[in-house]
Amino acid sequence: MSRRQFDIRLSATIASVRVVLRKASKFAGAAGISAVVAGCATNAPQDTWQPKGPNSKLIDDLQQPVFAVAGIIGLIVAVAVVYTMIKYRDRGQPIPEQTHGKPALEITLTIIPALILAVVSVFTFGAIFKLAKTDDTEMIINVTGQQWWWEYDYPVQNEFGITQPIISSGQLVMPVGTKVLLRETSRDVIHSYWIPALNGKRDAVPGRIHTLRLEADEPGIYAGQCTEFCGLSHANMRMEAVALSKEDFAKWVANQQAPYVAPAKDTLAKQGEEVFLNQCVRCHQVNGLTRADGTPAIAAPDENVWSGAAPNLSHLMSRNTFAGAMFNLLSKQCRDEVWNAPSDVVGAKYLAGVTEECLNQKDLRAWLRNAPEVKPMYANPADLAVSNGKYRGMPYLALSEDDINKLVAYLITLK
Amino acid sequence: MFSTGFKYFFGVTVLSVVALIMSYALFEKFALGGVAISFLIAVGALLAGLLAFSSDGTTRDANTSTSDLTTQSIWPLVSAIGVVFLALGLVTSSVVFFGGVVVLLAALSEWMVQAWSERASTDSTHNAAARKRLLNPIEFPVLAAVGLGVVIFSFSRIMLTVNKSTGAILFIVAGALVLVAGVIFAIKPNMKRPVGAAICVLGALGIVAGGVASAVSGEREELVEAAAEGHFSHAECGPEESKYYDKLSEGTLSLRSSVSATVVYQDGELIARIQGLAKPQKSLTVGRSIPTNIIFRNATEGEFRLVAHLGGSKSADKAADGDSHKDETCTQLVAPGAEQSLTLNIAKPSSVENVYYLYIAGSDEKKIELVVP
Ligand code: HEC
Ligand SMILES: [Cu+2]
Repeated sequence: MSRRQFDIRLSATIASVRVVLRKASKFAGAAGISAVVAGCATNAPQDTWQPKGPNSKLIDDLQQPVFAVAGIIGLIVAVAVVYTMIKYRDRGQPIPEQTHGKPALEITLTIIPALILAVVSVFTFGAIFKLAKTDDTEMIINVTGQQWWWEYDYPVQNEFGITQPIISSGQLVMPVGTKVLLRETSRDVIHSYWIPALNGKRDAVPGRIHTLRLEADEPGIYAGQCTEFCGLSHANMRMEAVALSKEDFAKWVANQQAPYVAPAKDTLAKQGEEVFLNQCVRCHQVNGLTRADGTPAIAAPDENVWSGAAPNLSHLMSRNTFAGAMFNLLSKQCRDEVWNAPSDVVGAKYLAGVTEECLNQKDLRAWLRNAPEVKPMYANPADLAVSNGKYRGMPYLALSEDDINKLVAYLITLK
Repeated sequence: MFSTGFKYFFGVTVLSVVALIMSYALFEKFALGGVAISFLIAVGALLAGLLAFSSDGTTRDANTSTSDLTTQSIWPLVSAIGVVFLALGLVTSSVVFFGGVVVLLAALSEWMVQAWSERASTDSTHNAAARKRLLNPIEFPVLAAVGLGVVIFSFSRIMLTVNKSTGAILFIVAGALVLVAGVIFAIKPNMKRPVGAAICVLGALGIVAGGVASAVSGEREELVEAAAEGHFSHAECGPEESKYYDKLSEGTLSLRSSVSATVVYQDGELIARIQGLAKPQKSLTVGRSIPTNIIFRNATEGEFRLVAHLGGSKSADKAADGDSHKDETCTQLVAPGAEQSLTLNIAKPSSVENVYYLYIAGSDEKKIELVVP
């Protein structure tokens, strides 16, 4: 084969690749359209277009006009491209005379977008600085991400009745109309905290503290999601912000600080406490829980869990969700009642916590029976060499159904 | 239609489908490997389709004979070396193994491109040009990076061996030599290429030889000593100046953006400031098992050190057996007006039996309580 022949064959091959790509692009188009259509869900608690607090409104006020301007420009460009493509398509006409450059036009077409971007950037920088403010904070909450749940701890803040640190997980409880500052960090890998209705995203990075302003206008529950890929169960690392009226928040604080009440003697719950001491205390802290000899039971998640933490269960039943808000602690019906409650009663419903009738027995039992089966976690005892013998997540504990009955009876007392 | 390339990729696709079905049947769920195999199926099918479409890019043509003049090739030899390293690595260390993998992959790709280019057309100059056009953009940067890496690594060995002041002189000399070489190249742009190359090669060889010699004779005394004794890791937290630990205290960094709290020592008072809380604090909440950075700012006239008491022996025990071991960590002695960071990572919660606090060395009363929930 001569060199010329070779070159001809080569360009033929390239042309056939183009044909295939062109066909593939049709499929991509169809996939794109279905993705857009899927965006029109009605029940979308994580919709970024529905701000529920001043910080998210700030972002919304910026993105609405920018989106409109970008949409109009995009439309103009698309129409112009399609028009030119059809008008000047190849009909076998001779190639017109080729010219190069048209300074006046080019300069105009550079200056106009530059001006638009300059205007947008002025407002963008303004919003960025407003969102980064921390000196008007009224309350701080420390937020720590770890595979695959969020921990919240409330440092002592006497103005809010917090006289000893409060520690919780999954649901962030905060007072409405209060400028809350989250101080985020992580115990293992990078996570990102995002409650779309209340503010944008902020990464939680190990060894660093990043702040995020949060404020809700109305009492209610606002859903969120970890938005930085963080391993196996990233998709199951969810969270909710629960905004309560100031009075309800004070009640919540009082309950979180209430001392431990041990179950009465000779009850199933008391037996559950024993199982808990044997099986669970090596990871989970319950404040005030003591061993049979009266010494405080101190959890050692640092020796058992890779991140060095497991959720504090002292007031487990004051939350509505568990395991990184992946599961509901309330049965579907009771949960819907809280979620759909009007803002003036949602607080009272939330503070009722989890009652015996409302407990979601099915998911809680499944969790205790075999946690890694219902939430993917690195918890295979044979595979722990990479993490120094520590679990990432809660392991399978081979509990008997009998023990599970006792544990459920015990956990329901942790109000 | 059924060209060699098509058959190959078709085979890959079919085998991958079989593998996927088998893995699903065996493990009853899609593991990560299943995803990888699915990608293999997609890629294999795409390539098989393309090759069927283009009859293997038609670089081989039945009507024309390719030139049988094959050039000599070193790649079989190099790939053999790669295989040997691979085998050797299996029984020695993974570094050797991965070295073998790299050598083998490089040799195979060079070999493949060479083989392809020799049969690309009957025009052997065109073939050689095709090979170069494809491979030179990869070969040159890789070779340059490896060469520079060797020179830099050798130079670093030299610097670790010679004593500190000689090191500075060597640095100056090396810089001057580079400058001189640059000047020569600049004023004699017509210099013959071999001369320039010779200068560079000689310089590089000199550094590599020095590096080998240095590596053989080992690092300089102080470094060996420091590594053995861990001078920089054990903190001496008393109020007096420590010979090793307080060396070069002005050179340490403070971490601005990751600060949990700033602890200020001022007018005989120790207070903590936390971003977001207006009032100064007398206690700090430190999350369990979270690396927590604290900045100590010394706003007094004297030199002071901030110490973190991290549990360990209770004060009662301390009185009993004199100076028993205390679990403590501390900053260096901080000059007036200066600041320094201290990182804590506390795993156990605080309680009546187990207290944590920050204090100024030498004055036990000035305390900030650390609450670990
Ligand atoms: C090896 C450590 C370990 C042990 C032992 C352990 N857990 Fe867990 N547990 C975890 C971790 C880690 C999580 C968080 C998992 C997640 O959400 O991704 C967790 C989550 C939970 C949750 C959900 C809490 C929340 O707020 O989200 C409950 C309830 C729970 N465990 C109960 C128990 C009980 C009861 C036992 C004893 C039978 C037990 N665990 C034993 C590590 C452990
Ligand atoms: Cu995450």
